[in-house]
Amino acid sequence: MVCATAIARPVSYAGGWTLIETSNRVSSAGLLNYTLNYNLSVGARYEWQRGSDTRVTAIQPTFLAKRWFGRDYQANLYFSGGIGTAERDVGGIENSETAKFVGVMADWETRSLFVSYEGRRMNLGQLGNQTMHAARVGWAPYEGDTGALHTWLMLEVDHREHMDERTSVTPLLRFFKGPALLEVGYNLSDSSPIFNFTYRF
Amino acid sequence: MNKTISLFIAAALSTSAYADDGKHEMKHHSGGQMNHADMNHDRGAEHDHGASHEHESHDHNARAHDHGDMGMKAATITHTDEISAALANGGAPVVVDVLGVVCDFCATAMNKIFSKRDEVAAIYVDLDKKTLSLVINDGSDLSDKQIEKLAKQAGYRIAAIRRDSEAMGG
Repeated sequence: MVCATAIARPVSYAGGWTLIETSNRVSSAGLLNYTLNYNLSVGARYEWQRGSDTRVTAIQPTFLAKRWFGRDYQANLYFSGGIGTAERDVGGIENSETAKFVGVMADWETRSLFVSYEGRRMNLGQLGNQTMHAARVGWAPYEGDTGALHTWLMLEVDHREHMDERTSVTPLLRFFKGPALLEVGYNLSDSSPIFNFTYRF
Repeated sequence: MNKTISLFIAAALSTSAYADDGKHEMKHHSGGQMNHADMNHDRGAEHDHGASHEHESHDHNARAHDHGDMGMKAATITHTDEISAALANGGAPVVVDVLGVVCDFCATAMNKIFSKRDEVAAIYVDLDKKTLSLVINDGSDLSDKQIEKLAKQAGYRIAAIRRDSEAMGG
């Protein structure tokens, strides 16, 4: 339940912590969240948008609105939001604005197939608005057993209204073992690497 | 935005996020009984009893009703060193069919939640069988209701629970 811009299982088990790092063609971000209940987590997010050197610090709740279960699949619908501050140096003057964002994530996966979508709308006041959509498909060439190394081949397409290169494609590899998940990829449109890491404890 | 956060919390506290495909209900199989209703198969389309089969004489609740020849035999406990040691110490085996178990995060979640319980001597989540194997300490008990609740805390839903000889495949 991950995409380069999205988060791996942003709601964990009750009482669980999750550390999520994402680095894509636009930003590098970290989210540390705590799961209050099986359907709600609250976390602290820091995001650095490299191109504009904008720093966003926010509190982010994520709500698991629905989880569909089957013997061989799981699907989820999440809503997230956030409020905090955005800071950017403009002409030597530090500007600070209220940052607000809302997002939706949906995914479906079996042990060998994966599909996801994420959308996020971010308002940074005078520092601008951003809208992002990302979709991903994935395939696991083998079904790893419990505790074994799981490997996925994935392809992500993202669309960002505020970017010159609005739509981009990123092939990536996901490695998954126990409580840790690592993704490495390369954005073909912007020629930039992606690196995502998630750890649960 | 404060309104949004309040809405998240209110919704989380008041709403069940869970749904299934409508085919599964939690069942407790006891004493080797196997109920066809638990098996999630379509009798009309897939369950072929053959031309000479008479449904009137077919007892779907009979003991030792073996689904093995249909490829649907109920999964038994997964033996790991920890499970075997706990069984050797007199622990009681429990096998739980879990819905939606597709990755190691699922296994991690259930391990974390169930291993906190003093009643649990050993645990293993088997992604292949889609089961949670438990060994309950001798003299302790973990009811079906408690298991269901713990699975929910982990973020999952259970379809069936088998205990003792049925969990061992006996």
